[in-house]
Amino acid sequence: MAMPGVSAGVEQMLREMREGVPEGRVPARIFNDREIYELELERVFGKAWCFLAHESEIPRPGDYVTRYIGNNNIIVARDEKGEIHAHLNMCRHRGNMMCKSEMGNASHFRCSYHGWVYKNSGELIGVPYFNEAYERKLQRKDWGLVKVRIDSYGGLIFGTLDPDAESLADYLGGFQFYLDIYLKQGLGGSEVHGPPDHWVAETDWKICAENFSGDGYHTPVAHQFGFHLGYFASSGATHSKGWAVHIPGKGHGIGLGHTPGMPPFFGYPDELVKQMHESLSPGQLELFSKTRTAVGNVFPNLSFLIQPLSLEPGDPGVRFCTMRLYHPVGPGRMEMWSWCLVPKDAPQEYKEAAYKAYTLAFGQAGTFEQDDFENWIKVTKMTGSTLARGVDFPYIQGLDREPLKDFPGPGYAVEPYVTEDNFRNLWSTWVRYMMEGE
Amino acid sequence: MALRIPLVAPEIRDSIRDFLYLESLALDERRFRDWLSAFAEDARYEIPVRVTREKLAEWELSPTSRIFDDTKQTLEFRVERLETDFAWSEQPPSRTRHYITNVLVEPTDKADEFRVHSNCLVYRSRGDEPNPSIFSAQRKDLLRRAGDSWQIVHRWAAIDQSLINAHNLSIFI
Repeated sequence: MAMPGVSAGVEQMLREMREGVPEGRVPARIFNDREIYELELERVFGKAWCFLAHESEIPRPGDYVTRYIGNNNIIVARDEKGEIHAHLNMCRHRGNMMCKSEMGNASHFRCSYHGWVYKNSGELIGVPYFNEAYERKLQRKDWGLVKVRIDSYGGLIFGTLDPDAESLADYLGGFQFYLDIYLKQGLGGSEVHGPPDHWVAETDWKICAENFSGDGYHTPVAHQFGFHLGYFASSGATHSKGWAVHIPGKGHGIGLGHTPGMPPFFGYPDELVKQMHESLSPGQLELFSKTRTAVGNVFPNLSFLIQPLSLEPGDPGVRFCTMRLYHPVGPGRMEMWSWCLVPKDAPQEYKEAAYKAYTLAFGQAGTFEQDDFENWIKVTKMTGSTLARGVDFPYIQGLDREPLKDFPGPGYAVEPYVTEDNFRNLWSTWVRYMMEGE
Repeated sequence: MALRIPLVAPEIRDSIRDFLYLESLALDERRFRDWLSAFAEDARYEIPVRVTREKLAEWELSPTSRIFDDTKQTLEFRVERLETDFAWSEQPPSRTRHYITNVLVEPTDKADEFRVHSNCLVYRSRGDEPNPSIFSAQRKDLLRRAGDSWQIVHRWAAIDQSLINAHNLSIFI
């Protein structure tokens, strides 16, 4: 049966992909294609739980940020009672954009076109010439801002455009265990260091999502300088060590790289490590204490990374934590948001050191980030060609490997860190969303 | 800055202007070690994150977020990396051209230090990509006299775009 609204070529590609992923094949075409992009807006970004903001970005009543799910611009605001709401940033009267700033504080939003006024919780409360123009025919309660369903985990606010979507807890499906490495850095949890770097790249968002689902394989080459100059606490000989875990059927994946011989939790201040013994469970402690790099992605497009960066060659370095969002804005084109998360209860000195390490490694001028995007724009460019459209890539690392028994965390866990199990899970999840209703 | 002239003696202004041009030339000719030598040992190099805000907001340039947050030591880290064969973001190298205009020099409390305002337009071309990246920035530097020349004690550059139209910032402003 034909998929409605999908061309025969894309439908065939998706069918072949669905068969091919378990055998380790992914088509190049998905990384740069107009029809795929348009279908994703509807079937992935119209259905999944998508990241909107971290609660620490809007700490006070009235604080708001404007974000996106797919091509929908959304206001995420904390109301006067402290409750968080998300609404389409569009006036219900004629469609004008309500908030033109990326962040701020307001108890009300007033449209600059005809003056309709909404509370930051979305209710329409002010209509100019209400009696004279509408003659009591307008019911204000029917014309609030378009609401977006939200839920949160560990300070992360997600939204979904699908009223029938499963709960966020079910959607994360156990990945919360691994997210805690980023979100429970100490007793006070994590907070943003400040607003994110925000830039445009000629890159397909999925290339980044795959990389952050646990691509330990690229690091010794793409970031060779770090190894070569001694700024990264790993070595080519042992870099494959560690674990890769994914939540089957959900698309989320994480790579946990391990450097033999490094002390537990190296690169964190002692005070914070002590707090983590309370904020984390015994299973989490067992795993995270051995983790050098934690590189994970929440399907579809929210990623995290913890890793150390040394300022003196050979030094174990300082841990930093980044959170990143890959927002699709066209075929092979995205907007990047990159935050630094710091432990709220850590010494200020450590927060500053971690932030410095973050800017040196990630963010738009970060040395690791620069090299990643240089590779990713080229992947995007190459996979958009007519010959590339018929080409598959191999995803066969770890194809016959058995999952680990007695692993401390949930999901499908394998050893070593360098493998492609997580990516097969990402792509089988993606293709299922794309073929929804099949 | 009130509209009052002169701000400093013309010889000082001219000397500082030449210094900024020489610094730009070192960057555009990829003489990064020469460029580093323009910075004082206690130098800071800072590019804040810009956020689109309402007119009355307290700030538009984030007080906490920076794109670059460097000391001389971390600038050296970046330069050392560029000297390897695997700084992929600059392989092949970017062609840059720094256009420095509107240079204004103000005295400070210290006789040997001056506050220098300038506009900086950086054109960057990469490979055979026909669309260059263009970065327009406001710069506010603190310069210190060093013998016959100058040293940058603080480079502060604020890029005018809040959503920056480039896949990376593998160059210096």
